[in-house]
Amino acid sequence: MAEPLLKVRGLQAGYGEVRVLWGVDLDVAAAGITCIVGANGAGKTTLLRTISGLVSPTAGSITLAGRDLAGAPCDRILGAGIAHVPEGRRLFRGMTVRDNLLLGAYLRSASRAELERDLDRIYTLFPILGTRRRQDATTMSGGEQQMCAIGRGLMARPQLLMIDELSLGLAPRAVDDLGVALQAIVRDGLSILLVEQDVLTAFDLADHAYVVETGRIAAAGDPDTLAADPRIRDAYLGTA
Amino acid sequence: MSALYAQVLLNGLMLGALYACIAVGFSLVWGVLNVISMMHGSFVILAGYLTCAAFTGAGIHPFAALVPVALLLLLLGYFLQLGLINRVVSQPVLTTLTLTFGLDMILYNLMNVWFEATPRRVTLDLGRLEFGEVVLPLDRAAAMVLALAMTGLLYVILRGSRLGRAIVAVRMDRDAAALMGIRVPRVYAATFGLGAMMAGACGALLALVYPITTNVTGQLLGKAFIVCVIGGLGTVPGALAGGLVLGLVESFGGHWFGPQVAPLLGFALMLVLLAVKPTGLFGQRGYE
Repeated sequence: MAEPLLKVRGLQAGYGEVRVLWGVDLDVAAAGITCIVGANGAGKTTLLRTISGLVSPTAGSITLAGRDLAGAPCDRILGAGIAHVPEGRRLFRGMTVRDNLLLGAYLRSASRAELERDLDRIYTLFPILGTRRRQDATTMSGGEQQMCAIGRGLMARPQLLMIDELSLGLAPRAVDDLGVALQAIVRDGLSILLVEQDVLTAFDLADHAYVVETGRIAAAGDPDTLAADPRIRDAYLGTA
Repeated sequence: MSALYAQVLLNGLMLGALYACIAVGFSLVWGVLNVISMMHGSFVILAGYLTCAAFTGAGIHPFAALVPVALLLLLLGYFLQLGLINRVVSQPVLTTLTLTFGLDMILYNLMNVWFEATPRRVTLDLGRLEFGEVVLPLDRAAAMVLALAMTGLLYVILRGSRLGRAIVAVRMDRDAAALMGIRVPRVYAATFGLGAMMAGACGALLALVYPITTNVTGQLLGKAFIVCVIGGLGTVPGALAGGLVLGLVESFGGHWFGPQVAPLLGFALMLVLLAVKPTGLFGQRGYE
């Protein structure tokens, strides 16, 4: 593997007295989809929250293209090129789809024309968002909201897009559409770090996979190889 | 008879505009930061003292003093939030309430030492307009217009500016706002600063129409509280409507039941609303 875009080493973090991450090592390759799977409470979301700066690490390093970002505030991490699409979408209620997307570009000092071009790019990727641009974003269907949340992340022009629970609560059809969109995003040169509870969906999309158990990386590798591993099959894919 | 009611209505609107201006900053801070700023009444009076001092000491016209006094309060609020209140802003509301209560006691006593509690005001004889039997003193009319203008200015800042978008985003969802690259502690400081700025503008206007004394800081805080309950939290139109409603209730209540009853009516209205419609007359879900 060539030098990874994101390199996480020995990352420890938690909430107050409760430690959640116990030394996580993780690489995300440039221009590919990496997924993290694991059970509820394994620390997947905390891992993303620590990378994006919402949670401060107590030890370890996070480097993006050689730049050390561990412990930096959210705005610096986003500015460095990591956007985080949080679990549950977290769109801003009472704001239109367009305003939600524009907030994604809050940090950028882009011209109006440049922002309009970027909005058009999002509307090309997700045509339904163009149709609903003046609608309150939180009144849309779950799948459409996830599109809006991903579009909002893309408006920051990141190098790495982290998505927490892409498929949670969505119809299979919507997940398929999102998967197609993610592949288009990767073709444009972005990297995606995907956290998923649905292991089949994650392995289907990803080029590289990590399995997280109780705050540690339990297994890593090619998704097909992992899917063939009896231990992983029993724990995450069912025995069927 | 109708002229009398027109006068009572006019008085109520003039009072209501001032109440709205007092409450809008308090409501913003409460709605966005979930901090009940016990200092708000003292901020108003501090600005009133500064305006009086500028007038008697240096002959500066209150309308000219309004902008610098408001900006001074903006700075005071900004740095208080950044340096002190931000340290406990995520704690339960009782913690921040206790902190601002303590800060208020400090400010209150400093004002008593510096300015003494003797009431003072700026008397400008601007004359009056008369429509038949209805009298409109121009100093009060000017205070009303400027109070509405300042309230409108805050609305424009919140709706139209980059800072305003950040404030609204932080109010909706703090973590999601942080993920947009919004620096939440700075936005909190700016929000508290804007709240103090509105109190400052109000104090400068209040010095024109009412005696300024530390004795009324608690009353002013109480008015801001009632307006928030009537109008709902965190929105400028809510504070404006709540202020006008309270002004009219006090004006008509004073006329019908006597001026000593008027201040009670606001609190009575608040109690009824809390029991019946806690989001306020104009409150929206998600803004409470």
